[in-house]
Amino acid sequence: MTRYLIRRLNLFLATSLVLFAVLFIVTNQFPVEQGFALTGILSPSAQQIAQINADFNLNSDSFDQFIAYLHQRLSGDLGISATSHRPVAEELASVLPASFELASVAATLAIALGLPLGVLASLSRHKITQHTIMAITLTGYSIPVFWLGLTLSLWFGVQLGWLPISGRLNLLYEIEPITGLILIDTLMSHSPYSVSAFIDAILHLILPAITLAVLPFTVVVRITRSTMITIMDQTYIKAAEARGLHTYRIVLRHALPNALIPVIKSLGLMLGAFVSYAMIVEVIFSWPGVGNWLVSGIYQRDYTVIQGGVLAVALSIIFLSIMIEVLHTAINPLSRKELYDSN
Amino acid sequence: MTQIKIYQGGEIPSLTRKIWHTFADNPFALAGLWAVVALLLLAVFGPLIAPYSAEYQDPRTLLLAPSWDAAGTVEHFLGTDDLGRDIFSRLLHGAHLTFGVALAIVLTSLVIGFIIGSISGMMKGLKASILSHLLDALLSIPSLLMAILVVAVMGPGLDNVFWAVGIALTPQFVRATHQAIHEELQKEYVKAAKLDGANMIQIFWYVVMPNVWDTIIIQTTLGISAAILDIAALGFLNLGAQAPSPEWGAMVSQGVDNILTAPWTVTIPGGAILCSVLAINLVGDGLRSALSPINN
Repeated sequence: MTRYLIRRLNLFLATSLVLFAVLFIVTNQFPVEQGFALTGILSPSAQQIAQINADFNLNSDSFDQFIAYLHQRLSGDLGISATSHRPVAEELASVLPASFELASVAATLAIALGLPLGVLASLSRHKITQHTIMAITLTGYSIPVFWLGLTLSLWFGVQLGWLPISGRLNLLYEIEPITGLILIDTLMSHSPYSVSAFIDAILHLILPAITLAVLPFTVVVRITRSTMITIMDQTYIKAAEARGLHTYRIVLRHALPNALIPVIKSLGLMLGAFVSYAMIVEVIFSWPGVGNWLVSGIYQRDYTVIQGGVLAVALSIIFLSIMIEVLHTAINPLSRKELYDSN
Repeated sequence: MTQIKIYQGGEIPSLTRKIWHTFADNPFALAGLWAVVALLLLAVFGPLIAPYSAEYQDPRTLLLAPSWDAAGTVEHFLGTDDLGRDIFSRLLHGAHLTFGVALAIVLTSLVIGFIIGSISGMMKGLKASILSHLLDALLSIPSLLMAILVVAVMGPGLDNVFWAVGIALTPQFVRATHQAIHEELQKEYVKAAKLDGANMIQIFWYVVMPNVWDTIIIQTTLGISAAILDIAALGFLNLGAQAPSPEWGAMVSQGVDNILTAPWTVTIPGGAILCSVLAINLVGDGLRSALSPINN
């Protein structure tokens, strides 16, 4: 297992290196001066030009430039944003928690609702129930997320007026950011209205989280259902039935752990699409997360923001997908067997 | 006179025929197939049957409701947008932009992905693992991030979307092909063919490939639906097809300004995207259950 973990760590480092290389090449292709694309300083003084040249080794060959680029980026220098003139790393630290919060709430929602529904769908013998669930999930899988977000905000936000449709918190509340996660910050704040701010934050979270949860929810339902149907036909389930165990116990203890394995695998494969969807959802609901920040960065051609955002998002996707793969191997004895074969 | 059956055995259908029968038994899949055929025809002949051109503006009919509404007229079947352009005609003109470009992207990345995937799937050791590492890095960049990078370098436009979505889709085809071939290579029948003295190319084409095609077909349908959604999403974000273009996602984004007074300018193009993706997913689902060995 240790050897396997080291190999995964290796994979993470190699993939990140490739990512940095891709970003380095793309940065040199930006239709602006190289120094501006790297640092975001629009009209540098002579001293700053010398500093940039020294930092990024701009006078030597491209390999040395890449090493210098890597060194600068890894030491946390992402340049400054050309529009707000604040360091990109600082801005990134303020937008990443918001995205993380939205994504984790949506993912939790999708798994918490999707698993039980998938199990129920697999157990039901009614043709109509099965067809309905399949029709709903297939529609949810095919719906364009920007259109779903617009429609939901039109119905629940504008026509019914039940839920707020933009931002994370009503501007009336002034909450000091501590962790950056609004649900925790509102609870931790000492202001007299912290409870009402918390409720307001939840109300703001509902529509974006539901819009974002639709895709993973449908995938989880479909995969759970198809795996459960295969598993419930197997002989060890029949043996458990013959021993007189309750259906409830058979499903929870014997079938579900095995059904989780493909679900986890599909979550890993879905990660890229999920992140794309999250960025679109952030734009529609003006959620102050990394997707919204990145899309406004591209509208303003803020090249340092583009690099920083793409780097942060892609690195977290690589990290998460490797973590999901490790989890998949850790709970799946069959893939461990292949591991020992190959070593 | 009754015919006498001399031979006992019934006709054994070929594999393709069997798959077709299983597929046709599912009414939803068949409906999806008809819808896809209709979409293909519309993508080719749509501009010919459209009553108006995509850019024709009628200043007397701004924001006209669809024809089933009391305020609508049948001349503008699905209503008009804020510049008086006929939405029905724009949908027909946009079909080849959204659907046709998606098909072109998927075909291109399928060919490239298939070639790289087969090479890396047949190889072992360091070379294969370098290829797959590179691909993992690319796979981890979602299509939207890729599009942002491409737009930052080349500027917005539908032809740049072609590259962005294509680069984002290719690794999926490579990975699907690679994994399917890799899995088949572990099996006993390949070993038997190897013992019979088959060389690499024979093993690849005659032994492994017949069992890999179904994975690739399923991946292709998934790819088409993902590509349509990506193109539309980029059009919506103004990173893909630009404003006067009748691309369906761009139509949604042009309608957003009027969503409160004229919700049909958003609902109708969005519904068109939903229907076409749904049709493709229905076909993909039908194919998957028809091809899966459990059902056969």
